[in-house]
This record gives sequence, C-alpha cells and structure tokens, in this order.
Amino acid sequence: MNLVRRLVRWSIAAYAVLACTNDPYPSTDAPVKVLYRPFDEAPKTLDPAVAYTTTAHDISGLVNATLLEYHYLKRPYVLVPGLARAVPTAELRGAQTVYRFELLSDLIYQDDACFGAHHGGARTRPVTARDVEFELMRIADPEVNSPALEPFAHVVDLLAFRQRLTALRAADPAVAVLPVPEQYARARRIAGVAVTSDTVLELALAEPYPQILYWFTMPFTAPMPWEAVAFYDGQEGRPHLADHPVGAGPYRIVEYDKQSRIVLERNDNWHGARHPEWRAPGTVFPVDVPAEDLGVTVPNTTPGAPLPFIERVELRREKERIPAFNKFLQGYYDASGIVKESFDKVVQNDRLSPEMSERGIALRKSVEPAIYYVGFNMDDRVLGAPGGNRAQRLRQAMSLAIDAEEYLRLFLNGRGVPAQSLLPPGIFGFEPAYRNPYRTPDLPRAKRLLAEAGYPGGIDPATGAPLRLTFDTGDTSAEGRLNYTYYINSWRRLGIDVELQATSYNRFQEKMREGGFQIFNWGWVADYPDPENFMFLLWSKMSRKANNGPNTANYSDPGFDALFLRMKAMESGPKRLSIIREMRRRLEEDCPWIPMFYPEQYSLYHGWLHNVKPFGMSTPQAKYYDLDPALRAERRRVWNRPVLWPAFLALGLLLALVAPGIATFFRERQ
Amino acid sequence: MLAYVVRRVAYGLVTVVGVLFLLFLLFFTITAPDDVARKALGEKAQQEQIDQWKRLHGYDRPLLPGPGHVRDNMLVEHFRRMLTFDFGRSDADDTVILDRIKDGAVPSILLTTPLFLVGLCLGILLSLFVAFFRETYIDRTGVFLAVLGMSLSILLYIIGAQFLVGKLLRWFPISGYDPDPAVVWRFLALPVVVGILSSLGGNVRFYRTVFVEEVNRDYVRTARAKGAGDGRVMLRHVLGNAMIPILTNVVMAIPFLFTGSLLLEAFFGIPGLGSMTVDAIDNNDFATLRTMVYIDALLFILGQILTDVSYTVADPRIRLE
Repeated sequence: MNLVRRLVRWSIAAYAVLACTNDPYPSTDAPVKVLYRPFDEAPKTLDPAVAYTTTAHDISGLVNATLLEYHYLKRPYVLVPGLARAVPTAELRGAQTVYRFELLSDLIYQDDACFGAHHGGARTRPVTARDVEFELMRIADPEVNSPALEPFAHVVDLLAFRQRLTALRAADPAVAVLPVPEQYARARRIAGVAVTSDTVLELALAEPYPQILYWFTMPFTAPMPWEAVAFYDGQEGRPHLADHPVGAGPYRIVEYDKQSRIVLERNDNWHGARHPEWRAPGTVFPVDVPAEDLGVTVPNTTPGAPLPFIERVELRREKERIPAFNKFLQGYYDASGIVKESFDKVVQNDRLSPEMSERGIALRKSVEPAIYYVGFNMDDRVLGAPGGNRAQRLRQAMSLAIDAEEYLRLFLNGRGVPAQSLLPPGIFGFEPAYRNPYRTPDLPRAKRLLAEAGYPGGIDPATGAPLRLTFDTGDTSAEGRLNYTYYINSWRRLGIDVELQATSYNRFQEKMREGGFQIFNWGWVADYPDPENFMFLLWSKMSRKANNGPNTANYSDPGFDALFLRMKAMESGPKRLSIIREMRRRLEEDCPWIPMFYPEQYSLYHGWLHNVKPFGMSTPQAKYYDLDPALRAERRRVWNRPVLWPAFLALGLLLALVAPGIATFFRERQ
Repeated sequence: MLAYVVRRVAYGLVTVVGVLFLLFLLFFTITAPDDVARKALGEKAQQEQIDQWKRLHGYDRPLLPGPGHVRDNMLVEHFRRMLTFDFGRSDADDTVILDRIKDGAVPSILLTTPLFLVGLCLGILLSLFVAFFRETYIDRTGVFLAVLGMSLSILLYIIGAQFLVGKLLRWFPISGYDPDPAVVWRFLALPVVVGILSSLGGNVRFYRTVFVEEVNRDYVRTARAKGAGDGRVMLRHVLGNAMIPILTNVVMAIPFLFTGSLLLEAFFGIPGLGSMTVDAIDNNDFATLRTMVYIDALLFILGQILTDVSYTVADPRIRLE
C-alpha cells in the first residue's frame, strides 16, 4: 500500500516537473482576441506633442484619436475625417489661408483619474476644440520641445506666442510655476488659432501650406485635456505625462511597464463604441474596399462592421530579434518582420517558402515611402558646387559606377526597389517608367565622364595619383564596414581612391553640421505622403550647415528653390507634375545625391490574423485588425507539443556512463 | 574584529571617493553633454531643445568649482547625488533611476538567487563526487567535461539553449518575463539552467582541486580509520575543511545577486538591473550607467569585507586584527 502511495506521489511530482510549456501567456487569454506584438525598446515618451518614433506612434496613435485619418485601404493615401466632421478645405481670407475644423459632438475622453482632481471626482469630460488649441500651444511651448514646431510655424502668430511665453517666464519666475493653461493665457492665445465654439476651430496660416492637414492625422495635434498635463507631473507618485497618455482614441493603456509589457484595452468611451449608429469614418471598417484587397486581406463579412475587433493589444519586450522571430514561428506573436539570419528559409525565389506556406503564414510586401541615398557635400571644392562642371561630371561618373540592384541583393536580400529619383512609389510625382540617365550602371560612360571632369583613369592631375576622397559614416560596426566597402570598391573600378572615415555617430553628426565631409549616406522616411516632404530635403533653406536642416548635402540651386516654392503649395495635378519633372531633371544633372533605393518591407502574418494591409505611414492600424483566437489556440497547441524523450535519453546515458564506474570502484575497494 | 571591520570600511570609503573621481572623469569630461542630449532627443533636435535638455539634466553647469560657483557645478553635484543616493533621472527617458533600480532588483534577485544557490550546491556535490572517484574514468571524464564547459562562451550556452530547449524541445518560452507568480517560473527556468550550466565547469574544476587536496590529508585517513563512512568523510570532514577557498569564491558573489546578470537578462528579456545596464550602454544613458558602476563598486567593497568576516566564522583559528 505504501509503495502504491509513494508511486502516486512520485508520479504527481514527475508530472508537475514535466508539464512544461513554452507558452508565455496565461491560458485564460487563449480564447480572447488579444493581438500580441513584440517591441525592442519602449518609447522615450508617449506625450503626443513630443513622441516621434514609430513605436511611440504605434501606442499613442491608438490612445489619442486625431481630427483626420488616412483611409485604411486606399492607395495613394486619402485623408478621411477622424474626430472632425469633414476634411476641411482651404479658404482664402485676405493673405491668410484658413482651415475650419468642426469636431463631432458628444466626444468624451477615456476614464482617467486626472479629471477627478479638477472636476469633483468625475472620471471623464467632453472633448472640445479648446483641447486642440491647447495642444497646438503645447507644440509652440519651448519647454515641451515638440519636434512638430517647424510645420506649425506657418500658423499665424504661433512663433510670436512662443516668444511671448519665453519672455514671460524669463521676466517673472513666478509665472513658470503657474498651471500651464494659465501661463498660456497670460502669453495671450495664438491669433491664428480661433476657437469659435466648443466644436469649431479655425486655423489661419500666413502662407499656403496644404500639407498641414497631414499633421492632423498624427498624434501631435490630438486633443489634449489640460487636466492630464497638470496632473501627470511626476510628483507624489504620479507618473509623467510621457508615461501616461490620456486620449479619446479606440484604446487606453492599462499597463505600462517599459521594461517588459505594455497592455492596451478597448476604450469604452471612444465615440465608435458609444455611438456605433453614427457609422462615422474610422469607426467602421471601410465599405469601399479596393478590388485588390477583396479576398486577399479582407473577409467578405468585414466591410461596414464596427471597430475595433481586437479586445486587447499586448506588446511584450523582446530585445533580441531572433528569439522574437522564433516566438512568431511558434505562434506567440501574430505578425513579424523577417530576420536576416532566417531570410533564405522563409523566402525562396522572392516567394514564401513551402514550409512557411504550409503553416498558413502569409507574406506581404510593401515599398515604404522612404529613400536611402549617397550624398555629396555640395560645399566641397572637389565634389561640390565650387568645383563647377568638373565636380558635376565627377558626381555623375560616381553615380554611374554604383549598382543599386546588386547592393540590394548583397546586403538586404533584395528587399528594396532601386531608386531613380528621390520620390518613392505611392508619392505623387513618382513615375515608374522614369529612368535617371545617371542611375543605370555604365562603367565605360562613367570613365568617359571622369576623363571629361579632368581625372582620366581616376588620376588627379594635381598629384599624379588616384583622386582621393573620403566617405564619412557614423557606423563603426563590422557589418557597416562591409557595406561601405561595396561603394569604395565600385569607385575603385573608376580608379578613384575613396577612404572610409568611420567615427562615432556623434562625431559624424558634428562633421555633418560643420560641413567637414565629402561623401556620406543617409535615409529619409516620409512624415506624410506628399512630394514636398521629399523635395524639401534639397531646398537651400533647409541646408544642414547653414540652418541645421535636413538638406544634408547643403545643395543650393536658386532654380530648384523657385520651383520648390511653387510646387509646395499646389494641389496635386498635371501642373504640379510638370514642375516636379523639371525639378527632377535639374537634380539628375546636378546629381547632389545618388538615389540608392526605396526600402521594401517584407512582413509575415499568421493565417488567423485578418484585415492586414501594410501601411507605410507611422499611424497604428490595430483597430482594423481582426483575429480568430480558436484557430490560433489550435495551431499553437499543435506546433508546441513539448518533446520530452531527449530528457529521459540524457538521463539514461548519464546513468549508463557513471554506473559501471561506481560499481567497479566499490568492487575493487572491497 | 570590530577594529578590523572599521578599518576596512574606512579604506572602502577612500576607494569610493576614488571611484567617484574616476566616474566623473569618464562620464563628464570625455563626452560632450551636447552629444548626450542629441542622442536622447534624436536627430531632429534643435539647439534650443538641446540647451533645455541640458538645463533639465544639470549638464549646463560649470564642470569644476570656481569663483561664483563653488557649490553649483557638476563635480560637487555628482558627489552630492552619489553619496546621498539621489541618483536623479535617466538621460535616456527621464525615469527616476532609484525607482528603476527598485523595480529591476526583483527580477534580478529572482533570477540570480536560484542560479547561485542551485549552482553552488550542484557544483560542490559534483566536485565531491569526482574527487571521491579520483583517478578513475569518472574523474577524468568529469574534468574533461568541466574544462570543455568552462571553455565555451556563455553566449553559446544562451543561443544553444534557446534553440534546443526553447525552439526544438519546446519545454520553456524562448525568452520573456511575466511577474505573475503563477507563471514567472516558466520564464526563469531556462536562464537559470543556462546560468548554472555555464558556470558549472569552472566551479567543478576549482572545487575538485580543493577537495582532492583535502582528501589526501592525514585527518581524512584518521577519520576513515576511526570507521567514518564515505558520506561522512566527504560531506563533513573534507567539505568542512575546504570551506575557506569556497567562501572566498562564494561570499564575494552574494552582494552581486542584486545587480543581476548582464547577458542572461539581456538575451532572455528579463527586466532586471543587468538588462537595465545593457540598455544604458546602448542608449548612452550616462546617468544610469555611472549609478550602476558606483553601486557595483560599493557592492565589491561590501563583498570583500563580508568575505574576510566569513573566514572567522568558517575557521575559528583565524583572527582579524
């Protein structure tokens, strides 16, 4: 009897030990529609006026509803109303351009403790146009440090408000400790932001700037309750606003542990949840589903259904890419990129491998609205404008020696589209048929141009030796070195000797600011889908050296500038296209950049995740996603059965190895 | 002994002052505050924003004391903060560093305590085992495996275990952490096993040497002659007499249980202090980094004092004077 009892006890203990599982989630969550995603580093801030990274927007964009949104499915991108009733149109009032935003009525914020502190225990309050004005004043506030200041500098009186506020704080230190709304009131409101009622806000711009509307799709301009700014100050155990956003979006944060887990749940106060009968844009799945998405991404039952489908969004921290990818393959993350180390296993002949297809995984590719390029310092006497025609020919020759397609194949598994101009696909002005005469590799022509530049065979007549140039980078990694060696070898075929100068990133930035460089490479990801957001990268006013702007090549061409200023405020149409073509022509001849490639995103999605369409802009799309938790649980169960026999085998081998030795030892000793 | 401890503490304080000076030189004079600010604020930051960041983080003060700023300078502020344990805010994300240390200590201790205790017991038992069977193939195989084990990088253990145990055998999650007591063991099991295995080779090699030396001593022969069994001889006499070298190894490690393991935490996604230190290195978060270096220095001094004191407990013949 004793033996039986002992056996049962040991069996239970053995089961407890062996009932191991690699499931990182509680079993109670299996039937729930939870979207699991990894993050490698928590955002530095979720303050919507400040946050400017994709990870931050992935979270704050779900918490903070914006006045406008992008249509989820249509390409090229189309603006649709969010909290606003309609997408405003420009209205000319004298010299000013005015946009009139009318907010939906009966909008309220998520429940939050900050409201109770100022409104007698209330958990929420209505969203008003004053809250949008407050957020615009925060963008202007130098203490907030908003990176969106530059585009909003077009708003009448905004920069003057900023100066008034600074002067007020400097003149009287007592002002600086007053509640922020009071400080703003004392600095007098921004004249270009008129709130005419609780739901109407008029924005006056000193000059036409139609791109301002795109900024209203980003969390920067989402209504901000002043109570949240006052309450979440980091004092007395309260978190900072940077870690506790309060908004009126479809989700709210319920757990924010930057080191391990961020959890968002549906916000029952969101207007889509409170008023599904409105069927407002952005609160129901679009009904006008483009033909190419029907049956591919969107099940037939989805169009017109109220959002959001996902109950909870959970982000788990994964500092390393490979474990995160393996957990995706085990079914514990719903979507993933592809790690370089596994690319050949996942993608074969540019298609999903049979192994992945059998698991029901889907591959979706999308070219991002971004460009990577090699730039020349246009202030340099050898390569830049001071070098005149000789330098121009040299730049053209160097461009002809670089094969972007080969570069993509060698370093990015072909994930990218060779660039012909600075405008990527999906941006107005991109023409697939366009070919830059200096971007098809042609070594003989490059050598001819080099000779015309006065460097026959790459020899600098001043020294009688190969022309020496420097390539600056802030990437000191071994992988980076390999990368740059490709460029250097390409130019060596022309006889030019390019030396790599890899320094710390800070030192590199310093060199860029001071103009102490010759060649560099860089990238740009669009803030919004408009050619202005790319062309301004070569506008002389944006020069890095002169104005610390994003024109890192310090390119300056009055003709290009004049065309840019005309193009920037125009509606997209044939006139604008012809100006863009002329700008493109000037750039291809001047060649301040070697446009390299438009990066291509390869994303993997499990078969249980629906309604997924890659979206190049930095706005979260989780409210449109749907998933089938039963299918996910079943797949996870099948894919993750623990394999226990190796444990028993190892134990057996160990005993077999040791037991004879022990037996012999004792036998000999006796 | 009290006088000895007081003297060691006084030496320790001098060392701390030296460490603080070195930290000041490393973190305040080599990298320009503008670069730290730019890293924190991002590429698009304007000079105005950088100046404000420096003001908020105290990097706008003069570096050294001088006329008009005898107390209001970075050197004095650095010493004040460190000596009062008011570490300020992270350069990377403005988190209060002391809060972050409090939050990170729990996962670190949960990881390192079982790793340390089980690793120590297992190391000693295996060493006693191979020492007992010395000069047999069990001993030789044990030594071979120990040398092999200590020759491999911990990175290989980590990646191998994640691939074999997490991916192929599917016994435990590959990485991650959940503080829920019902599931936290799932996430800690694999890093604990990896930590034990990676240190086992070195431990077995070291302890075996100590034990083999003791096993050949006269008192062991005497104990056997008096009829003591193998278990009693090994566990009581041999182990008891080998405590000094073991304590040197072990007591020194105890204070560092708190600071966690850099690589294990980073690779397994455990949000402890080791992981926090790696993040600080990645993000040029000098405020956090100098705090962790300072804490490590304090723990090292504490570990040395504890080790000395522990000798007197293990061997009453030792007197600290």
